[in-house]
Amino acid sequence: MAEQPKQSGVKKTGFLPIHTNAFDRVFIGTIVFVAVHLFWMRFLEVHLPLFLATILSVVIGWIIVARG
Amino acid sequence: MHKQSRWRSFFFWIAASFITLFPIYWMFLISAKSRVEMYGKPTFLIRSFFSENYIKTLTDPSFQQYMLNSIIVSTANALLVTTLALCATYALSRFKLVGKENIFFWTITNRMAPPAVFLLPLFLLFTQAFTIGEWKLYDTRIGLILLYCVFNLPFAIWTLRSVIDGIPKELDEAAMIDGANTWQVMTRVIIPLARPGLAVTAILTWVFAWNEYLFAATLTSVKARTITTGLAEFVTVTGTNWGQMAATATLTLLPALLFLGLVQRHIVAGLTFGAVKE
Amino acid sequence: MRSQSIGWLLLAPTLIILVIFGLVPFFYVLVVGFTEWNAFAANPGAHFYGVENYRHLVFDEQLLYSLWITLRFAFFAVLSEIILGYFLAQLMMKDFPLKGFFRTIHTLPLMVAPIAVGATWRLLTVPGLGPVPYYLDRWFGIDYRLGSFADQAFWTTVLMDVWHWTPLVTLTLLAALSSLPKEPFEQAQIDGANRFQIFRHVTLPMLKPAILATVFIRMMDALRTVDEVWMLTGGGPAAATRYIGLYIWRVVFPKTDYGYGSAMSLLALYLTIVMCWLLYVALVARRDLPKGD
Repeated sequence: MAEQPKQSGVKKTGFLPIHTNAFDRVFIGTIVFVAVHLFWMRFLEVHLPLFLATILSVVIGWIIVARG
Repeated sequence: MHKQSRWRSFFFWIAASFITLFPIYWMFLISAKSRVEMYGKPTFLIRSFFSENYIKTLTDPSFQQYMLNSIIVSTANALLVTTLALCATYALSRFKLVGKENIFFWTITNRMAPPAVFLLPLFLLFTQAFTIGEWKLYDTRIGLILLYCVFNLPFAIWTLRSVIDGIPKELDEAAMIDGANTWQVMTRVIIPLARPGLAVTAILTWVFAWNEYLFAATLTSVKARTITTGLAEFVTVTGTNWGQMAATATLTLLPALLFLGLVQRHIVAGLTFGAVKE
Repeated sequence: MRSQSIGWLLLAPTLIILVIFGLVPFFYVLVVGFTEWNAFAANPGAHFYGVENYRHLVFDEQLLYSLWITLRFAFFAVLSEIILGYFLAQLMMKDFPLKGFFRTIHTLPLMVAPIAVGATWRLLTVPGLGPVPYYLDRWFGIDYRLGSFADQAFWTTVLMDVWHWTPLVTLTLLAALSSLPKEPFEQAQIDGANRFQIFRHVTLPMLKPAILATVFIRMMDALRTVDEVWMLTGGGPAAATRYIGLYIWRVVFPKTDYGYGSAMSLLALYLTIVMCWLLYVALVARRDLPKGD
């Protein structure tokens, strides 16, 4: 489901502790995006509105896709 | 040379087999006992075979219906899956298709996805979207037959993959040069050579379709119920008739026992998507 | 040259079925998860609801409890199966009479319908009928009632899963063990390594891919266990063995709260993917390992 054993594309070594290609990084970005939102709703939404989570996770996602 | 250790392993495996078989043996024992014999101090031998549990089960019209449904669904599914998987595997093995490996991989994700997750959307689709006029896919055998392809097709493709890859390409190329078309190559070269593999695939997919419970329980109500749902119905009824439940369960696992010897060498390779070859 | 179109034609029926019954439900549940849709509500149609469903989900204590025990169940079941399966595979490597016969018997649980596995274990453990409660009481004075004690119910489901799936682990590891080359073991023995050292430095590294594949496959299956547990305990006592699949199936369905149920299904799918991906990364794709498949 998650991993792609023979995905075409350039293998790259960024700050993530694994070899990733473009697909892997988009996948990780999506996973993080969902996780940030869920945790935000559970713990932080009382104090801070949800769109901050969206901004935060887009930034994290961008970093992962670009540098991961 | 290690005579003693040979026998030690032997006795160990007798004990292990005992543990494996005991629950099944116990179930059979209960199915052969009358209500009076069942309770109290457990007895592990059959004094007299109490056949009423089986007779009652087998003569029950709704059980007969379940049995018939199960046989139809499993057989149709096994035939459909084996045919489609043969075509698909042949295509993936012999043609240079774009994204071949990704297609192979995508098929596994279908098999790995938790069925419970798809119950609700499938239920809604079966009752509300997949309809033609009054007719719904819900509670039909054809619905189950098609749905079971989702987990059986990937299994069949991965089992057949090594079989088809094992047939030398030169054979069908030679047939092609002799003027055979794809259909003729399939029926004259591939199918005869792949016959044992196809048989194993068909049997295993048959067993998996027979064993399936969750979808059958959710996507049928009266007409298309299968034997596994019939077995589960014993639980919800108050004052379970244990003898009849044991008899039904014994009948449910009968095919597994029958086919075990034929397919046991292949089941592991299939269940692990070829990650393990024997 | 063969034409590509024939290839695609042969592949088409398979792809169509997998798309209709595999991908379509996925996207459908994705959409429905963002709607409020309750057949019995004042406004029974589906209408857009934003992330409200998920807002409720993360505070749903019952659901979180269900997820927690599912993870616990999968962890203990898979761990015991791997350890036990390894020892059984090692024992299978030895030479002894009637080996093929024992192997066949050992394969049997893999073929049995999960629902029938649940039925057999229920017959073993029903008070008054099964030998397990009888002898536990007789010999050890243990009061064994699945319907009353949460811990007993939990561990019995783990045990049942071990009974059902250890053979798969045994046979995969057996296949891996028998394909290992002999030389490293002989070399290690010449070097005077003891049994544990051989296991730690020779067997384990070479078996790693097979063990990982097995853990991965077993984990996916354990996380979605429904049939056996439903048959054995019905998810009880209370909610002690109501694993996530059972929860979705037995709790969400009767309520006809389709929007919320879809959101929950998606969350379960998300967590399954994340769990397996983490497992995969932690075990297989680490950078210090050579990249391969």
